[in-house]
Amino acid sequence: MSNSLSKEPAPTPAPESGGLMVKAERVHKSFGRLEVLKGIDLEVRQGEVMCVVGPSGSGKSTFLRCINHLEKINAGRLWVNGHLVGYRQQGGKLYELRDREVAAQRREIGMVFQRFNLFPHKTALENVMGAPIWVKGLPRDQVREQAITLLERVGLSEKAQAYPSQLSGGQQQRVAIARALAMEPALMLFDEPTSALDPELVGEVLEVMKQLALDGMTMVVVTHEMGFAREVGDSLVFMDDGVVVEEGTPREVLANPQHQRTRDFLSKVL
Amino acid sequence: MTVDSDVEKGRPEAIRAVPVRHPGRWAAAAVVLVLVAMFVHFLLTSDALDWPEQRKFIFSIAVLKGVRNTILLTLTAMIGGVLLGTVLALMRLSPNPLLRGASWFYLWFFRGTPLYTQLLIWGAIGSLFPTVGIGIPFGPEFHTWQTQALVTAMIAAGLGLILNEAAYMAEIIRAGILSVDEGQQEAASALGMSRMQTMGRIVLPQAMRVIIPPTGNEALSMMKNTSLVAAIPFSELTFTAQTIYASTYKIIPMLVMACLWYLLLSSLMMVGQHYLERHFSRGVGRGTTSREPRVRFRGGGGGQ
Repeated sequence: MSNSLSKEPAPTPAPESGGLMVKAERVHKSFGRLEVLKGIDLEVRQGEVMCVVGPSGSGKSTFLRCINHLEKINAGRLWVNGHLVGYRQQGGKLYELRDREVAAQRREIGMVFQRFNLFPHKTALENVMGAPIWVKGLPRDQVREQAITLLERVGLSEKAQAYPSQLSGGQQQRVAIARALAMEPALMLFDEPTSALDPELVGEVLEVMKQLALDGMTMVVVTHEMGFAREVGDSLVFMDDGVVVEEGTPREVLANPQHQRTRDFLSKVL
Repeated sequence: MTVDSDVEKGRPEAIRAVPVRHPGRWAAAAVVLVLVAMFVHFLLTSDALDWPEQRKFIFSIAVLKGVRNTILLTLTAMIGGVLLGTVLALMRLSPNPLLRGASWFYLWFFRGTPLYTQLLIWGAIGSLFPTVGIGIPFGPEFHTWQTQALVTAMIAAGLGLILNEAAYMAEIIRAGILSVDEGQQEAASALGMSRMQTMGRIVLPQAMRVIIPPTGNEALSMMKNTSLVAAIPFSELTFTAQTIYASTYKIIPMLVMACLWYLLLSSLMMVGQHYLERHFSRGVGRGTTSREPRVRFRGGGGGQ
């Protein structure tokens, strides 16, 4: 698949939609002169849980943010659920999508942030209810019922009326997961979801994520939790310096890394 | 910080120490007390204040009209100033350099010249722009008005105050918007919210917490600055007081009466601000939904 793209946007074949949720082809991203992603090729199948690991500055979070177009890629192509992310291709030409169209694309992608980013002026329940009401225009009563179910699912139904500042980090992150799920996304992105948590709170968040994986959600998880990657992940990607160094099942990569860089990294974190 | 551990056995005896004395505080309090007594004595006995004269005018039709105009002008100027200020703030934060530049220029002009001078210009607006019309820029006009007839003193006063206030509000609102964590916008975008929704539902409500206290100050000083529209001239509270003492020659009583009205109005505004601040501090801090920081300056940790 690496020979289909050159500098000018040649007509790219539509990605084989057969079970592919994310398809990245030679994705490049620079911030000014600094090239953070140097050609990423990755595929995430439907229902797959992909864990992305690597040293800080390796570009793994940037790649995640490219998937829902929080960052614009500079070269290459990126599809989610069969849609080209952020652009429309017509007659060999690329057109930038309007804000509204980008927003529509993001509705099928849920994202969970390292620092939760709950809306502090809204209660837990209102955080979960907001987007379906404002974005999808669904009736309030229906959304409220669904939101309460979601809070139960992450084990926080009794905290529905609490403001984020009254919740622990782990509880906030679980509300954030419920908030993302409320839009019924086809894909969930996790950007180091447990890195800002006190160690004793990590488990409760990972448990919710594990349940989500067991329910068949497609997930891309940037993480430092190797235990989670081994237990829940279907695939493990090791990134360093803007490229994918190694990719395989978690067992393979963790037990028998092929590259020196992977070995160095794993020896530091395991 | 556990307090209820009295039940524990072996709890040491509570501390009963002799508190530190503060002779300096006592002396200062005594001085203040004497000054207060002198002031009250002055209020009660001075002939210059002429309370009967004040009582005669304080609820007169002319003064009440002046008060009404002061309130109207304050409301108009603040509402218009906040709306226009929001537009200017969003322009300054826009990626488009032309919009940013236009907003910067507006602020440069209106913050760089005195309000009183601006109001004098509004008073003479007819000679600056003799006519206003609707038409094609640099082309034909479909309809033309005489400025003198269109812009009454009330409109000139309102516009003058709005345009000036907008420049200050723009900076306050911009600071408020910038105070909201970037992650909030990202989270909203990731949920598929549009820019407008993100601004209206997520960013501005949080920015309000930062925006309201200085806006309260702005409203207070606006209420007092309305007295400057005498430059146009437009008759509000101070101007009315002046008109009255121009014929009675009792200057101080009328000015003190005006002060009493201003104090009443500003006290009401402070109460309103208190409730607004409480409303927009939802979700801040742990525990209750509203939180009032009670910080007092105290030397040392002691005190009575």
